[in-house]
Formats: sequence, structure tokens, C-alpha cells
Amino acid sequence: MDKINGRALFIILVAGTAFFAVPCAWAASGEPRPKGRAAMPELHGFAEFAHGLKLSDDNTKRDDFNLLEQRLQLKTKYLFEGNGLLARKNSSLNFKGDFTVDEYFSGKTDFELREFNLSTTPYDWFDLKAGRQILTWGTGDYLFVNDLFPKDYVSFFIGRDDEYLKKPSDALKVSFYPSLANVDFVVSKFEPNTMPEGDRVSFFDSFQGGIAGRNSDRDLLEPPLQPSHLEYALRTYRNLRSHELAFYYFRGLDKNPAGYNDEVARRLFYPRLDVYGTSLRGPAFGGIGNIEFGYYNSREDPDGDNRLIANSIFKVLTGYEKDLGNDFKIGLQYLYEQTVDYDNYSANLLPADFVFDESRHLLTQRITKLYKNQTIAVSLFNFYSPSSKDGYVRPTISYNISDQWKAALGANLPWGEDDLTEFGQMKRNKNVYVRFKYSF
Amino acid sequence: MIKLLGMVFIGLCVIQPMSFAQDSPKPEEIIAKSRLAFYYAADDMKVKILMELVDKDGRKRIRELTMLRKDDQNGGQPSFAEASKGRQKYFIYFHQPADVKDMTFMVYKYPDKDADRWLFIPAIDLVKRIAANDKFSSFVGSDFTYEDVSGRNPDEDAHTFLRKDQLDGRDCFVVESTPKQVSEYAKRISWIDITNFLPLKEEFYDKQNELYRQFEAGEIQVIDGIPTITKRVVKNLKSGHWTEVSFAEIKYNLGIEDDIFSERYLRRPPVQWIK
Repeated sequence: MDKINGRALFIILVAGTAFFAVPCAWAASGEPRPKGRAAMPELHGFAEFAHGLKLSDDNTKRDDFNLLEQRLQLKTKYLFEGNGLLARKNSSLNFKGDFTVDEYFSGKTDFELREFNLSTTPYDWFDLKAGRQILTWGTGDYLFVNDLFPKDYVSFFIGRDDEYLKKPSDALKVSFYPSLANVDFVVSKFEPNTMPEGDRVSFFDSFQGGIAGRNSDRDLLEPPLQPSHLEYALRTYRNLRSHELAFYYFRGLDKNPAGYNDEVARRLFYPRLDVYGTSLRGPAFGGIGNIEFGYYNSREDPDGDNRLIANSIFKVLTGYEKDLGNDFKIGLQYLYEQTVDYDNYSANLLPADFVFDESRHLLTQRITKLYKNQTIAVSLFNFYSPSSKDGYVRPTISYNISDQWKAALGANLPWGEDDLTEFGQMKRNKNVYVRFKYSF
Repeated sequence: MIKLLGMVFIGLCVIQPMSFAQDSPKPEEIIAKSRLAFYYAADDMKVKILMELVDKDGRKRIRELTMLRKDDQNGGQPSFAEASKGRQKYFIYFHQPADVKDMTFMVYKYPDKDADRWLFIPAIDLVKRIAANDKFSSFVGSDFTYEDVSGRNPDEDAHTFLRKDQLDGRDCFVVESTPKQVSEYAKRISWIDITNFLPLKEEFYDKQNELYRQFEAGEIQVIDGIPTITKRVVKNLKSGHWTEVSFAEIKYNLGIEDDIFSERYLRRPPVQWIK
């Protein structure tokens, strides 16, 4: 207990320093500055406490909780001023970092650099962002077809803020704006998705023959950093009146360990993957509709006859969101996934292999209602797959006590008949969580 | 004699419409001119907006944002009835509170269909399309609706001239507007300044004919020759919640480029405009 208090004190001290720094920064920015001297960057961020109690038993490190942490996020932006080259090119340096104390791992302190990049406009028609950054595109809500940027599904399942579903990329992003269409091109270092590994979140481990916790001893083989492992992502998009049309291309590696490198050594790897896709989004039937296609080409298993590497797959996602008035919104999505060359896959399975389905239907629904001048948000997000017979319910209530203080209460309730489906394997990770946040 | 009578008759015909125009112009015309003065002043505009959201217990929340507005230039001079519902583009950058800082919001407003709205959430680099069919949703939790922010098409109501009145020593036209289709309000009564056509006060009545919401212009300044409401208050009389909005750093006719209103700048707020 003393240890926890000590760490809490540390967090409060750092947060306190930040709070004092902020008014100073504001005061400084409000005063007319002497010419040539750059503005003192403003410091913003939040301090947060989060606790998630477990509702189901499994074989992970702790039985009673899977989330207990304190977090301090600091962010700042430095705008180049004066007559230098960077100033003339509308440049900024952006920083965002999280200090955490994670009681799940006995008070392990950590620092995660979420953003540290230089953003600049060398020419009117050309933007550039270099460094660590969060990248997102596509039309889905919690579902991603052409967004192959890294995600953190552990954060998602234990009840951290949505912000943490997206992992940062070390990347160079260039954007061009010719009259015909806009183009984004990203070159990035490979960063895998953060997936359950059994220490905190249990999951289906085929080597263990079922849902595994600490007994999981898989070895995930990350590719060494070399030019051939760089990833490329391209998006070209334009507006067609009120609708947005986009085309996507990705060349890199699967973000999940979708291939067996060595079954005996229980070693998995991230096979090469190309994705081609397109999307359309805009007004439809009195709301916003979207449709997105993606073809995942498994380059190391082009014919689908290698039982150790995931097959190519085709995905289509459609969605619809409508505002029903009185701060009440509803969103619906349907995702269909079809494995390509399934016959080759099933013909090459060994008798002891687990058999995955050829296709999957997934429905989602989001209901959001705001109360009390939008200070209270009640939301229910529901995943349901009739083909996998599994689902995931995410209810949340959040209350903006003031402009600074926010409290959130929520639950993560994955369920499923089988142990090897996407949500069924998560069914022993059910939790209820609270978060308190002070923003500055 | 007949000639003289004829002249008097012609004179009456000429004078009658003129005096009508001076004393009590058509209510449609008053509302259209009012929309023009309130929502379409100049070709474009930049303003820093401070909103204070106050609940019935006096607890205050702050929204600070920079708004850019640009009217669509169709070329030529449309009639004011046309201009008062013309296309516009809005770009909003949030400075405060901290949890929405750096978010941006963009609206394309059309005369004859739902607006297009986009929201950019920087923490996850997400450009989200916002369903915009409910015009009476609260804007950022305030007592202002989206329609209050960007204006209601005058054709959506039937207007009746009630009377002339004085409000704080200013001469006003008083116009009653009733929605042609089911709407949040059943009746709106507007006090519109005779000289500059700015709305000085609006009362919103529900189906039970009870006053539930009220708009009041608090301060008017002439900026670049344009009379501008720089302070306004909307009160929700049922909940006791109210919102005061102050405009500062107002600038007109800046020549804001059209491409500012695009996904590019939604993701990279244009520093030169939002500082």
C-alpha cells in the first residue's frame, strides 16, 4: 500500500508541476512577444486513474483485476517562427508522451512516446510529416478494412480510452494535392498490433489447444529492421459532391502473427501482405452511409495451400449512421469476410489442426445518447457475429463533471460459444472499469 | 376633372406600395434581410468565439474556438431572398477546453439539402463524417443549436408581420414565423432592428404555446462598416441553462482561400488563420 501511495505521490507531483507550467505558458502566450523570439510552447495533457475489475476467471497473472494504472499525458507543439526556412514553410514540432505506472505489473513505470514529429509544408501543394505519429484512414467504426496502421487490442479489451486503440507509427507521410485527387503516401517501420499474449489478457492459443493465459509460450518473431521490411501505404481520395471516394493500397506485413514459422518451437511470424481497397462515404437515407472493400493478398501463400500461413481474404464493410434528434444517434455496420482458396486451405490441413471458418458475418451497432447539455454520454457498442456465434458488448457512461474532470464507467463483455473465434477467445476477460481524468 | 381624378388614382397606386414598403415591408423580406445581415455579412469572416455555458446552479463551462466563414461566390448579384440561404463553408478550430483542444470541425451549408459536416479528432487522426439531419442538436453542449450557428433557411417558415416595437430604444419589426414542417419550435417571434436588420431578440414557443427558449443580442459593434452582434445570450427557460457567446477579433473580407475548407486543413489547421 505504501508503495502505491508513493507512486501516486510521484504522479501527482509531476502533474502538479505541469499544472503550474500551464498558466505560465498561457500568460506567456497572451503577452506580445519581442520580435524574433519564439513563443513558449503551451503544455497540455491529462492525468488519469483507471481501474478495471475482472468478472471472469482465467489463467492470467491476476484474478481480480486486469487494469489498474495511473497515467500522465503531456503534449506540446512548437511552432517555428521568424524568418527561418522552417518558419516560412509553416512548420511545427509535435510532441505527445504518456508516463504510466502500471499496478498490473506491480507498479512498473513506463514512458510511451505517442507523437514526436516534424510537420511542414515545403510547397503549397505538398505536406510532409516525419517521425512518430498516429495514422488513421478508412470509413469503419472500430472495424478496419484499409487502415493497416498498428492497433493495440489489449488496451481496447481492458477499457483504456479509445485513443489507445491506435498505436503510433514511426513513419514519413507525404501528402500531395493535385486538382484531380488528394494523395497520401506513408512509408513506415513495421509495428505489429498489440495482441493478447496471456499475461494480462487470455486468448486462444492453438499450441495450448484452447484459451491460454500465462501457460502460453508462443514466440512472436518480429522482422528485423531492414529496407525490405518497410511498409508502404497509399490513399488517394476526392469529394464527389457530398460524397468522398477513396482508393487504398498497402504493401507490408500482416499486423497479426498470421503465420507459423516453426511449429515445434511455437514460433509465429508476420507474413507479407498486400491490400487493395476502395471506399465511398456520404449522405444516404437521411444519415451517413459508407461502404468499403478490401482484398488482402497473402503474398507468402498465394494459392492458399500452405496450412501454416493465413490465406488471402476479401472484406466488405457497410455502415449507416443516423441522428435521431435530441442528441440520440444510432450507427449500424455489417462486415463480411471471405477466405479465398478455402478448398486449398482445408485440403492441406492435418488431422489435428483447428479448422477456421471460410467466411464470417459481423454486425455492429452503436447507440449514443447525450444528456444534461451533453455532459453525460451513455453509449452501447455491440459486436455480434451470427456465423461465429460470438460477440462483444461495450457499454459506457461518461460524465464531464467540469471542463477539467471527467469520469467514465464501462464494461467489456466479450462472449462466444467457441474458444477460437475472434470474440469467443476473449470471453474470460470480461471486466467493469472506471476512469477519472483531469485534463489541462 | 376626370383627368385630375385619374392622376390622383395613379398617384395613389404609386404611393401606396411605397408607403407600404416604408412602414411594414413584407415579413419574408424582413427575415431574408435579417438572415443576410446576421449570417452573410461580407464575403468571409474570421472570429474568435468564447462561449460560456452556465447551468442553473451557476456552474460554468467554457468553449473557445476560432471560426472561419466563407460565402459561396456564385458570380452576379442574386436577389437577397436567394442570398439569404446561399451556400456557405465554415471551419472551426477548438482552443478550449483541454480535452477538445486542436479538434477541428467543418461544415458545408446548402440551401436545399442537409449540410455536410466533418469532425477531426487529432488524438486518433480520425476524420469523422457527422450525420447532420438534426438541426436542433445542441452545438458543443451549449444552448445554441446547429441551426443557430449557421442559420435557418427562411423558406422553412411562414412569416407574419405582427407590429413595430421598440426594444432598448431601438425601432424593431416584430415578425412571427411558424415552421411549414414539424420542427423543434411551434412558433418563433423575432424583433428585428429596422435600421440594420440584426435580430435583437427571438422567442421560441413550443406546441403548448409556452416560451421555452430565448435569444438576445447583448452588444452590437460596427466592424469594418458592418453592424455586428458581438455578444449574445441564449437561455433555455425550462432547464435554466444559458449560454453567452462573445465575438472577438472579428475581421471581414480577408480573402480566405476556398481550399482552407478541406480535409487537408481539417487535419492540419491553418496556423495563419487560427492563431
